[in-house]
Amino acid sequence: MEPRVAIVGVGHAGFAPITAGLSYKELMFQAAERAYDDAGVDVRADVDSFVCCSEDFLEGTSIFDEYVPDQLGAVHRPVQTVAGDGLFGIVTGTMLIRSGVANVVVVEAHSKVSDVLTLGSIEHFALDPVWNRPLVPSVLAVAGLDMNAFLERTGLTEEHCALVAAKNRCNALDNPRAAYPADLSGDDVDDSAPLWWPLRELEVAGRADGCVVVVLAAEDRVRDLTEAPVWLLGAGWSSGSPTLESRTWGEADFVRRAAQRAYAMAGIRDPAEEIDLAEVDDTYAYKELQHVEALGLAEPADLGDLVQEGDLEPEGELPVNVSGGALAQGNLFEANGLARVLECVEQLRGEAGERQVEDVQVAVAQSWPGVPSTSAAVVVLGRDEGPS
Amino acid sequence: MIERIARPDEVRRWPGSIPVSHRYTPGVAGQAFLETLRDRGVILGSRCDRCRYTYVPARLFCERCFAELAADVEVGPAGVLRSFAIGFVGVEGEPLESPLTLGLVQLDGADACLLHLVLDHSDEPLEIGRRVEVVVKPAGERTGSILDIEGFRPVEG
Repeated sequence: MEPRVAIVGVGHAGFAPITAGLSYKELMFQAAERAYDDAGVDVRADVDSFVCCSEDFLEGTSIFDEYVPDQLGAVHRPVQTVAGDGLFGIVTGTMLIRSGVANVVVVEAHSKVSDVLTLGSIEHFALDPVWNRPLVPSVLAVAGLDMNAFLERTGLTEEHCALVAAKNRCNALDNPRAAYPADLSGDDVDDSAPLWWPLRELEVAGRADGCVVVVLAAEDRVRDLTEAPVWLLGAGWSSGSPTLESRTWGEADFVRRAAQRAYAMAGIRDPAEEIDLAEVDDTYAYKELQHVEALGLAEPADLGDLVQEGDLEPEGELPVNVSGGALAQGNLFEANGLARVLECVEQLRGEAGERQVEDVQVAVAQSWPGVPSTSAAVVVLGRDEGPS
Repeated sequence: MIERIARPDEVRRWPGSIPVSHRYTPGVAGQAFLETLRDRGVILGSRCDRCRYTYVPARLFCERCFAELAADVEVGPAGVLRSFAIGFVGVEGEPLESPLTLGLVQLDGADACLLHLVLDHSDEPLEIGRRVEVVVKPAGERTGSILDIEGFRPVEG
């Protein structure tokens, strides 16, 4: 029988618009030191394998996977890089443990985006070169098109999306690590400049530097390492159609499929009833609502009321992005998914301080690597170890 | 313990850049689309009979059932606007000289949506569901590029 997997340590560094003076290696070193200390592991003796998540273009270095071992304590050890969001690293680490290859795995993702001088051009280079790149001035256009299709399909309004952005910025007033906390109203967001209408400036997550390191362990090792394990109850991932012309617009079908797999593994039948807290991708404000729907946490017809009546707020029926999400913690690129996991871990351990939600037993974390991609990973985390 | 650098003007940085240049092969189906557009001003798609789905631009395989397809279905030139966005900023966030509208249009006979500019629509607010048609450049000016299409313009009906 495959061993259960738990998160036994987390560490982070940065979460700031700029981390002047610190190299990306030092940022990773700081986060790793904290994670290993939190897990109580000696990295050189106890860790069997390392998974990093990065994209060469964002790092400004070719074959970037060669640049990660030393600052993680991973020299002379098995290391692999996943070219995708950090939540895919959690998935890979979980597979390493469940397949019996490793007992303790470290997963890392970071952003040193303040060193990237041509971010828009790198993102633009992700568009299809023959059909789309000559026409589309900015990848934000893809978000604008999807948002308009989402509003048309669901009957939600620009005001609902603005309220989401305001909620998340306000939530982060209680989050000491957030890069962009602010006391904003929906009207403030609605009055901000249109970038690619209907998408507005304050509905786009600001960039931030940061690193998150997570230590995973097989159940045999978990009890030795921590009294407060956070169990990985389920994981799922899926691609959508990457093609702009034939993808499903206005709907995150790939998130729905990833969630269905994660819920099946976790034995969750009614996510809206069984999940106490959700950390979902909100790189663009409307995406939070689209992802809440795709995660099966609410019906589209109810989303407007949930937003307006504060049900997605920390005190509400379904707290979503209590951390402030990417809109308030900052867009950490490949580290976004691990930032979601970090918040779930703190909430499940009861260590979330001012923003602690009462009695969180089961939480879900979801990631999306940003426009123009259509892929997603979902993990379900819990205080109890759940089914094997 | 790392002693941080406290003064921004003491932070040293080293510049780096590379020229990244590629050429891209549109492929057999892509080339058929582009040459048909250039030579006849017509939009070419591919039909998957099993999935009852018509792709545009044309392609050699179905992403739903993995069947091999042919580039042999003519679609449009009119269709329905399925979404649009109005752009005010360019690639690095700089303001555009004038706003620009992109639209996703499901051309008659197609299931996929062609992405292109929506031409002047200042007379009336644009709405999803609006009938539009493809505007192609004059024959002598077409080179075999997606830019041989000027964009979509609203039509009656």
